[in-house]
This record gives sequence, C-alpha cells and structure tokens, in this order.
Amino acid sequence: MTTYNQDLQGDKKLGFVLYLVGELVMFATLFATFFIFVQDAIDPTPTEVFEARTVIISSVFLLSSSGTIHFAEKAAEIQNRKGIAIWLAATVLLGLAFMGVEIHEFRTYYHEGFTLTQNIFLSSFYILVGLHAAHVLFGIGWMLLLAIQLNSIPSSIYGDKQKIFSYYWHFVDVIWIFIIVFVYAPYLI
Amino acid sequence: MIADLFGRKFYMASDTIGAWVMLTLTAILGIILITRAKKWPIIREYATTTHHRKIGVLYLLSATLFFMRAGIEALIIRIQLAFPDNNFWVFQGEKFNEAFTTHGTIMIFFVAMPLLIGLMNVAVPLQIGAQDMAFPYLNAVSFWLFLAGALLVNMSFFMTASPNAGWTLYAPLSTDTYTPSAGNDYYIFGIQVSGIGTILAAINMIVTIVRHRAPGMTLMKMPLFPWSTLITSFLILIAFPVLTIALYILMFDRFFGTSFFSGPEGDPIYWQHLFWIFGHPEVYIIILPAFGIFSDIISTFSKKRVFGYGSMVVALAIIGLLGFMVWVHHMFTVGLGALVNTFFAVTTMLIAVPTGIKIFNWLFTMRKGVIRFSTPMLFAAGFIPTFVMGGVTGVMLSAAAADLQYHDTYFVVAHFHYVIIGGTVLGAFAGIYYWFPKMFGITLNETLGKLHFWLFLIGFHITFFPQHFAGLNGMPRRVYTYTAEDNVFVFNFVSTLGAFLMGIGTAVFVWNIYKSFKKPQKAGDDPWNGRTLEWSVPSPAPEHPFENTPQVVSHDPVWEAKLHRDGELPKASESRTAPIDVVSWQPVMLGSLMLFFSLAFIYHVTWLQVTLGIAVLGFFVVRALTDEHTKKAKEDQAHDNV
Ligand code: HEM
Ligand SMILES: [Cu+2]
Repeated sequence: MTTYNQDLQGDKKLGFVLYLVGELVMFATLFATFFIFVQDAIDPTPTEVFEARTVIISSVFLLSSSGTIHFAEKAAEIQNRKGIAIWLAATVLLGLAFMGVEIHEFRTYYHEGFTLTQNIFLSSFYILVGLHAAHVLFGIGWMLLLAIQLNSIPSSIYGDKQKIFSYYWHFVDVIWIFIIVFVYAPYLI
Repeated sequence: MIADLFGRKFYMASDTIGAWVMLTLTAILGIILITRAKKWPIIREYATTTHHRKIGVLYLLSATLFFMRAGIEALIIRIQLAFPDNNFWVFQGEKFNEAFTTHGTIMIFFVAMPLLIGLMNVAVPLQIGAQDMAFPYLNAVSFWLFLAGALLVNMSFFMTASPNAGWTLYAPLSTDTYTPSAGNDYYIFGIQVSGIGTILAAINMIVTIVRHRAPGMTLMKMPLFPWSTLITSFLILIAFPVLTIALYILMFDRFFGTSFFSGPEGDPIYWQHLFWIFGHPEVYIIILPAFGIFSDIISTFSKKRVFGYGSMVVALAIIGLLGFMVWVHHMFTVGLGALVNTFFAVTTMLIAVPTGIKIFNWLFTMRKGVIRFSTPMLFAAGFIPTFVMGGVTGVMLSAAAADLQYHDTYFVVAHFHYVIIGGTVLGAFAGIYYWFPKMFGITLNETLGKLHFWLFLIGFHITFFPQHFAGLNGMPRRVYTYTAEDNVFVFNFVSTLGAFLMGIGTAVFVWNIYKSFKKPQKAGDDPWNGRTLEWSVPSPAPEHPFENTPQVVSHDPVWEAKLHRDGELPKASESRTAPIDVVSWQPVMLGSLMLFFSLAFIYHVTWLQVTLGIAVLGFFVVRALTDEHTKKAKEDQAHDNV
C-alpha cells in the first residue's frame, strides 16, 4: 500500500513540476513583453505610477505565506491535523490580505487615470501582475478545498494533495519575487 | 440570407447554407445508422473512457474528420486557382482568405497534431511496457479540450465568421481594427483551448516515458518512437506556452482595447516574434514523431536493428534544441539587420546536419536488410526522397539573401508541403497502417493500402512540384487569382489536377477503413513480425496489456526473445503500480463547458461568461472531491480497518 502511494504520488509530483515549467514559460513571455514596452513608456512612466508602500506591504503578506504553507507541510508530515488547519488558515488569510492590498493598489492606479489602455507599459503591467493575482486567487480557492477535505479523507492522501499545492504556492511566490525585482524595484529605487 | 442571433446579424452565403444542409443531413443519417446498428453503447464507452488506446483512436478519428474538411477546402482553393482570372462559386476575395486560413489552421493544429498524438497514445505505452498513460483521467481531459478547440475553429464557418488572417494570424491585420468580425476570435479561443489540452498531453507523455518504462528498459534501450515522443513533448512544453501568451495578449488587443500589436505605440513585429518562437518549434513538433514512426517501421520491415541508434537519439535532441534558435528565418524580410539574419541563416542551415544524419541512418538500416514492402514500409520508402526534397528547398530558403526572393511565394508553399505532407502525413499514414492491428485487432486491406499510397504520393508530387516554379516565376502565396500574363497558369493547372488525385487517394484510405471493418481480417498479436514490446500483447491491446511486466534486457526485446528465448519475454520480478483508469463523463463535460465559455467570449455575452466561468471553476471542485486516488485510498483504509 505504501508503494502504491509512492509510485502514483511520484507521477503526480513530476507531472505538476512539468506543468509549472509550462507556467514559467508563460510568465517569462509576459516579463519579456513588459521589458519591451516599458522602455519607451511616457505618460505615465513607471516611476509616476508605482508606489513603494503598497508593494512592500503586499510582498510581506505573500512572501510570509510561503513560510506558513511550509509549516502546514511539516504538520502534514507528522499527521498533525490541528497544526495543518492552523497553518493552512494562516496561509489563506495572508493570501487574502495580499489580494486586498493588490486590489487596493489597482483601484488607486485606476482612479489616478492609470488604466489598462492608457499606454502599453500599463497594459503589459496589468496583464502580467493581473495574471499573477489570478493565480493567487485560484490558490486561495484551492486551499479552501483542501480545508474541506482535511478531515474527510485519509491523511496520507491529504498530505499528498497538500504537497502538490505547496509546489504551486511556492511557484506563485517565486513569480512574485521576479515581479518585485524586475517590474517594481528598478523604478522605485 | 440574414439571421439574427445574439444581437448580431449573420449573413449567409450559398456555400454556408449548403454546408448547413450537408451537416444536418449527415447528422440525421449518423443518428439513424448508429441507432440501427445499436452502437450507442460504444459511443458512450468512448465518450467516458480514459484508456490510452481508445483515446488514441478518438484523436485519430477526429483528425481524419478534420482532414476531410480541410482537404475539401484545399480542393476549393485549387479549383479557384486552376485558371487565370477565375471566379469559382463564391470563393474570391475575402472568402478565399477564409478558406486558406482555416485550411492551414485546421491542417496544422487539428490534423497533424492529433494524428501524431493519437498514434503516441496508441503505441507509446505499449512500446515501453506501461499499463496505460501515467494520468488516464488527464489524458481524457486533454482530448476533450483538444476537440472543443477544434470544434470552435470548425464551427466558425457555419456561423459565417471564419478566421481570415492566415494561420500565422499576423498583426495588425488580426487586430480588431482590421478584422472586427468574430472570425479571428474563433481562432484565438479555439487554438487556446486545444493548446492547453496539448500542453497537458505533453506532460502526460513525459511522465509516462520517464516513470513507466518496463524494468530494464533504460532510456538508451527505448525504441525511437517513444524517444521522439519524449523530445517532442519537451518542445510542446516550452513552445506552446509562448503561443498561449501570444494569444492571451492578442485577446486583450481584440477584446479589451489594448494595442500591443498595432497603433503608434504597439509593435506588429512583436507578434511575429512570439508567433515564430512558437511556430518554428511547432514544425519540429509535427515532424519529430514522424521520424520516430519511420525509424521503427524501417527497422521492422528491414528485419534489422535501426542503424546508428545512438546517433539517431542525439540527432533528435539536437534538432529539438536548434529548433528554438531559428525562428527569425521566417522573418528575413522584416529588416532586422544583416547580423541577425546571418546568425539565423547559419543556425537554420545547421539543422540540415542532424536531419541528414537521420536520413543516412534510415538508408543504412535498409541496406542489406530483408526488406518487405508492406503498406507501412511503402510509406516509409516514399517519405525519404520526398522529405529530402523538402529539406533541400529548406536550405535554399535559409540563405537569407535568396529568401528575399522566395519569401511569401509559392516556393515556400511547396517547401512546407514537401516537409509536412512528405514527413508528417506520410508518417501518420504509415503509423496508422502499422498499428491498426493494435487498435482494432484487424489489419487494413493491403491492396487498397498500396493503391492509397501510390495515388496519394503521385498526386502529391504532381500537386506540389510545379508550385516551386510558380513561386520562382513570382506567384505570391495567399492570392486568389492571377492573370494569363503572369506565366503561372500551367503550373497551377497541373497542381490542381494533382490535388484531385490526392483527394482520390484519401478517399481510398477512408474506403479501406470501411471495407476492412466490413470484412475484417483478423490480425494476430504480431502481424508484422515485430521487434518491440507492443507486439507481445494481444491485438487489440486490452485494458491491462501486460499480464506480467516484462524484464527488458536488450534493444528490440521481442525480436531478441524470438531469436534466443522461443519468443518468451523474461518476466520482471517487481513492477510498479499501474495508473488508475476510470470511467467518467467529467472530461467530456469540461470540454463542452470550455466550448460554450469560449462562445460567450466570442459573442461578448457577459452574463454567460460569468456563469460559465464559475462553472469551469466548479469543475475543479467536483474533480477534487471525486478523484480516483482519494477513492482508492479510502477503500484501502476501509479495507485495513476490517
Ligand atoms: C532542413 C530543414 C528545414 C529548413 C532549413 C527549413 C527552412 C525554412 C525557411 C527558411 C522557411 C521560411 C521561408 C519564408 O517564409 O520565406 C520555412 C518555412 C516553413 N517551413 Fe521549413 N525548413 C525545414 C524543415 C521544415 C520542416 C521539417 C517543417 C514541418 C514539418 C517545415 C515547415 C515549414 C512551414 C510550415 C513553413 C512556412 C510557414 C509559413 O510561412 O506559413 N520546415 N522553412
Ligand atoms: Cu521555421
């Protein structure tokens, strides 16, 4: 029975990592798009748009959620359901907080007239950061599903499911780091 | 005729009305025939299956269907071009643009791709000693997403909104400023949805090949079709996401008012880069599997191990790598500068080297072999010279300076048909004849098969050889007519004749399938005296093909067993857990959901977009709560507790 799980779980892990490779290529293409169109941006330029404060706050939320999901994983390894529940809840909350700040950020931009169609720099900013936000949102939904299943399915398979999720969540975090480094930082420092 | 739907007006030309009538009649006839023959259970079986062989058959069946549609389009195009200043039916001007656009799009994405992915599904698990694909459920999802996308592109014609910017969808023509009608939206969503299916299929292939090989089958003992599948899958995994994003960005341009690819700020050249960064690897995605099929077939029918196996693998890998470094050869005339053009000209020419190695290896495999020209081998033999000609024109095109002359002429059209039909389509035919016994337990009729081959091959050369000269005489591609003074009439006329010969050849193929089911010739497990593992399992391949997992000790294990072990494969002492297949309506439901979701976008119906978007998300919930792994784990647990 244990080998049964290991074989199939191994398949899933590899499959999911490959899926993330595909996603990485997608994001890389969007980064390239951003680099190309940010160069000649006028009216507005990135420096006129970006605001350090919101980026820092949202980053704190999202990056620390990589830690909490890690603890949830550790808890799953020793089959500590209570620990899982706590850390998973913390991750959901951090994810929601990130989304809250990001929605606030987009709304502020919008009210300042920095809309999707204002210029191509903004367009490429929104389609990149927006796709990332969609990933965060999807991840939050995924965690809620995990939470539903936490007590109703065998703990070994629950652990497997959560492991796959944490790959996803770490990936979303890594993309965010790239966004900080390549999208925001050059125009905030 | 004018109809009102979704608040839009639909104008119907006579050809569209004709098509509707045909479609309706065919559907009614189909339903009657299926009911009369009491075949509904079979339809249901295939609609809910997750088994690799059946899914492979579904891919092949859809590919054949779309081949006929796009083939008819080709004939229409050829009729329109048969004479100077011709006016065939309604197929001039914009209608012609639509015809060549859907012809190319369907042929690449919905014929070449599914033919190969279908054959991979049928053969690869069996060739490597796996019980099924690694993720049977995902496999079904891939297929139904593919079909949903294919149906979208195909139905556009019936909605009088065919895409019309070429299969390359060049901007700014493809932006809403120049083509506001829904046609190119059908392209965007159709290719997007099926592309996601293709990416998932590639992941499935990689995991299957990496983790489900029989014990003892090291990578360097693996047959070449699985090898080419593995490399192709990596190409898909890297190239298709670029297309996904290209279409995503174009969608923003067309739906949400951005202007990435047009306007004073936007950059149409960027579309070309994105498209060809995907597009050139794509042409290798559709040729490498064919190389793999031919390698296996040539080896079997020459009764010899494939010559230079190691160099074959290395050549595949190098072609795969170089395939990502040549995309600008489609853009030599853009004016990116001498240095850029030179670089990409050189990398392009380099590809001819590994390709040449493969050609010579095939020839050396045949040399001093005991050759039998059964139908699959005939196709392989026809492939070699045909493909070499396509390669030669490829190298000619790769000389950047000369390409300024060739570019966008019929010379290019001739080139890519030589490689795609000469390679991919002949390869797919060969593979279908070769593995038909594993799919259905019967062989296709050999006489009809040979007739099919000769008609198709001769028709092919008559069609496309003259196009080289039409191109050299200056005939641009994608024009709906020419004048008598253009000096291209004879070439076009001959080409049209050849096209009809190919059409007859294809009809013989379809007839052959029908005949072979009517008067089935039972195939044994090993009709071709094969060498690789698929010939050690029953025909058709059962749900769990390998009763005992074989222990692989050499190349061509079945052949080795015939020589040294009275045909008995050694049994492995241990085997891994088989994937869990299920019977489920979910994949086909997801496909339908995605189809209607896309339609809601294409026709800008916001409430439907929201509803169906939620439904698609709901699908993930249903899937997560009903997956077979959890069910199995629960059962096991209940079992343990007893
Ligand atoms: C020796 C190998 C090859 C070389 C050197 C080569 C070279 C080229 C070049 C330079 C072009 C651009 C011509 C132009 O637009 O001016 C081209 C076009 C094309 N090639 Fe190849 N090619 C090779 C093999 C293949 C293969 C194996 C396939 C597909 C199975 C293929 C499919 C195509 C297609 C579809 C186009 C036209 C795309 C379009 O504009 O719609 N080629 N090739
Ligand atoms: Cu190319």
